[in-house]
Amino acid sequence: MARKSKKGEKQEMEMVRIYIMGKEYKVPAGLTIMKAMEYAGYRYIRGAGCRAGFCGACATVYRKEGDYKLHADLACQTTVEDGMWLVQLPFTPANKAIYDMDKIEADDKTLVNFYPEIARCVSCNTCTKACPQELDVMDYIQASLRGDIAKAAELSFDCIQCGLCAMRCPAEIAHYHVAQLARRLYGKYIAPKARHLEERVKEIEEGKFDEEMKKMMKMSVTQLRKLYNARDIEPEED
Amino acid sequence: MEMGYYPGCTLKTNAKVFEDSLLKAFEKIGIKLKELNKWYCCGTVYSLATDNLMYRLAAIRNLIRAKEDGHEKLVAPCSICYNTLKQANLMAKSDEEAMSKINAFMDEEPDYDGSVSVIHPLEVIEAKLQEIKAAVKKPLGKKYAAYYGCLLLRPKEIAIDEHENPSIMERLIEALGGSVVNFPLKNECCGSYNVASNKEAVIDANYRIITNARRNGADAIVTSCPLCHFNLKEMQKEVKKVHPEFAGLPVYYFSELMVEAFGIEMEG
Amino acid sequence: MAYPKEFEKSIRKVEETREERLKKLPERMKEKEKDELLKKWHPDYKPEAKRKLKVGVSKGSIVPNEVADIIEAYPLIKPDEIDLSQVDYEADVLIIGGGGAGTAAALYAYYEGIKPENIIIATKLRHGDSNTIMAQGGIQAADKPNDSPLIHYLDVIGGGHFANKPDLVARLVMDAPLIIKWHEELGVMYDKKPDGEMITIHGGGTSRKRMHSAKDYTGMEIMRVIRDEARNVGIKVLEFSPAIELLTDGNGRVAGALLYNLETEQYYVVRAKATIMATGGFGRLHIQGFPTTNHYGATADGLVMAYRVGAKLRDMDSVQYHPTGVAYPEQIVGLLVTEKVRSLGGQPVNVDGEQFVHPLEPRDVEAAAIIRECYGRNKGVVTPTGMRGVWLDSPMIDMIHGEGTIERRLGAMFRMFSRFGIDMRQEPILVFPTLHYQNGGIEIDADARVLGKNGTIEALFAAGEVEGGVHGKNRLMGNSLLDTQVFGRIAGINAARYAKKARKPRSLSLEHVNKYVQELKKARIKEERKAPLLLPDYRGKEVLSRAIDIL
Repeated sequence: MARKSKKGEKQEMEMVRIYIMGKEYKVPAGLTIMKAMEYAGYRYIRGAGCRAGFCGACATVYRKEGDYKLHADLACQTTVEDGMWLVQLPFTPANKAIYDMDKIEADDKTLVNFYPEIARCVSCNTCTKACPQELDVMDYIQASLRGDIAKAAELSFDCIQCGLCAMRCPAEIAHYHVAQLARRLYGKYIAPKARHLEERVKEIEEGKFDEEMKKMMKMSVTQLRKLYNARDIEPEED
Repeated sequence: MEMGYYPGCTLKTNAKVFEDSLLKAFEKIGIKLKELNKWYCCGTVYSLATDNLMYRLAAIRNLIRAKEDGHEKLVAPCSICYNTLKQANLMAKSDEEAMSKINAFMDEEPDYDGSVSVIHPLEVIEAKLQEIKAAVKKPLGKKYAAYYGCLLLRPKEIAIDEHENPSIMERLIEALGGSVVNFPLKNECCGSYNVASNKEAVIDANYRIITNARRNGADAIVTSCPLCHFNLKEMQKEVKKVHPEFAGLPVYYFSELMVEAFGIEMEG
Repeated sequence: MAYPKEFEKSIRKVEETREERLKKLPERMKEKEKDELLKKWHPDYKPEAKRKLKVGVSKGSIVPNEVADIIEAYPLIKPDEIDLSQVDYEADVLIIGGGGAGTAAALYAYYEGIKPENIIIATKLRHGDSNTIMAQGGIQAADKPNDSPLIHYLDVIGGGHFANKPDLVARLVMDAPLIIKWHEELGVMYDKKPDGEMITIHGGGTSRKRMHSAKDYTGMEIMRVIRDEARNVGIKVLEFSPAIELLTDGNGRVAGALLYNLETEQYYVVRAKATIMATGGFGRLHIQGFPTTNHYGATADGLVMAYRVGAKLRDMDSVQYHPTGVAYPEQIVGLLVTEKVRSLGGQPVNVDGEQFVHPLEPRDVEAAAIIRECYGRNKGVVTPTGMRGVWLDSPMIDMIHGEGTIERRLGAMFRMFSRFGIDMRQEPILVFPTLHYQNGGIEIDADARVLGKNGTIEALFAAGEVEGGVHGKNRLMGNSLLDTQVFGRIAGINAARYAKKARKPRSLSLEHVNKYVQELKKARIKEERKAPLLLPDYRGKEVLSRAIDIL
């Protein structure tokens, strides 16, 4: 792992101390928490997923020496620092409401009916501080509470459902499940429908393209290549 | 003139008509109510139930938002929100120890010092009676019983008017061309949250309040509180089941009377 | 400014040429130019990186060494030591893999009339941990009036160098609008204009703007919605329980799978009337040492298991390198920089701020051009760790589409670079090709049935990245999410139909594994490798050198 300098001689890597669940390890500076834990000898079963900030599997909390803050981040997206005390929280127990999207309505009581505990929010803002995506979590819970589904959907859109908000909430809310329902209600009932899509589905179901598709499927590579190279390309600008 | 506006959840849902009429009526008398960019539940149920500081967080945070948006005054139309925010603000001004704890807990927020003043729209009206008279196109003509309930008047430190005998709503009604009736039960409790757990108490209160208003010759009741509005208006059908002779009365928000007298068309 | 000092001069050159470059794009390459470029610079054209398979149905076909290594590997288990008489789970439809394809398959098996408790998703990590969730750019569907499935067909097959299976391409493009409609009904928040029209853009190699997206979280949005729906209907999911072998009935019909609980280390026997392979691709094999955009579990387990039961492989000789993986900072090297950055106007430029390729060539061409710029023409930017890359001039996006576009439409990218101190609205980002996609896979027919030497393998279906033939030798952006949904759906429906008519397999067998082992031995393959890999091992070398296995 040691880098070689231009002359080819080994250079000492800069190392930092981290504490994984209280145990000290020395790891190269500049690694992400995830790679540092692997360097230290951990092989993940839980706690690693996409490794790119999209799946929420590697939720991690840590404190730094001399700082009372409990930080929350993704292990795959955070660089280790000297004196970091950390633990991963790879799972969040949280109940999801069960609903039939075709039968429920998007009104101002839907969210609070499925998740009545959102009324327990005291605006402490801990959820927002715990969010590794830096979302306004408390704000979307408050929007949900007053039935503003569109706002809740918009504010929560980048949620990766890591569960850190729910782990930290004194009101025991499962924020990310509330947000999931808000977004689905928005997508299904509030966002306008795409008419051109409906049109096209109808055309396909009526078999409008079947004949030509059959012909195309039988074409030789030479014929196809000719057509392909002669395609007109829709211009970039609208 | 622009003032900060804190809607509260009820004016966005059950009391939408209150919000719509209030915003229109105030626009007419030259006041733009600007909704806070961010706001949260006022924290009511908890703040009334206990003195735990945790339950003041929501209210204080809303006041910080108002300050952040540059408002010196924050208008809170819902009586419950008004009461909660006003009491929290009073605490911010007077209870240094409590505030130092709250400020330390909310370390991501700037410290709050109680410098925003929380007001109810009826307090704004007090100073605007001349403009209101001038804006009237269709004088009301009927007789009204002004009903205050409790949250605008108690505790007396936060009352919007003389807490035992308020008169601001009556002065508004008269400015709008209506007349007022004598109404001794104007600050009697409407039954409040009993509507959820003890309906009989609300039915009883409704019967007494509305019957009293009728006996005194009122054609309608005027209120400013969404919960009073619900208990007085929506519960009348329940009252009829218990008291078949009960005749009932229409119930309006004061802002509905304003738009009516100003001749403003409301949608829907 | 989180870039090292030595980048400054080059960044200044990029800034200086920006105005000029806004006015004009380089020409798209002619076919002959593309061919020459690919032959010389695309990693697929290195003969020493591949070899012929020595065993199995597709013996003799050429695959990357890393793939050959896991195909020519011994099983994790000794079949004789497994007790198949005790069945832990019974299923009508068993789905191996909990990503986009597996979840779509589960839902459509349910719509087709299978009870949710008789559908099992067995997945290696958590439900949804997959490449699907990482797909940023979008999903293609020809649903605009100026477009048609026929034009989409031509784009797919031309982009795939005419090696695709026509019937699979036809299903892909004809079902695409149906899938988007299904998503819309489930509540997927696609980017739309105020009147409901889908906002669509170009992707590399498209002739119409048909890329639908949900900001740059498209795959995540689709995945979390269909997962939520699977939870609503009550599909049974076994997490951290990868399949390690398929089971047969002893007569060639697939009859379920052997699962392995990664945490307790016990095995489970699942007997199933129909089985769907939806295990995804092979990025974590790190073909030719490339870093990858893929998720932690992308170790091609499905290829190994299906091959042992007789599935044919196809198009495995071609590997997709995404042209733009992160080249700096070191912490996130290899992660994806979505093609949408180029779709929205970000141009690739070299160390001197010069254009060298049209931003929207098909992926293999774009990747080869970047490699040539770095290693053939020596016009790359060299990072402190010695890696090379070219600039992707992201600040152009806000110049073209207005301030705020990057934050609004590339929120994930913006956030990722911000975490490491790079503001992609102000500064260009450094990129180099990264291992992205398994173009080929196990061969299926248009009903998603897996093909073996003599036609279909009974009761085995496949969907998503694990299968091959849909994309030929090169997949276009936005067709992989589509593949997972289209063929997930088809596999779900057909597996359900099959299961409704079929009887429970009477016996369970691992005999095919024994036979495969014999074949390996006959080919004189040493017993030094085992597969499926299940998880890559990134532990530090110093730790491993002193590790002892005693518990």
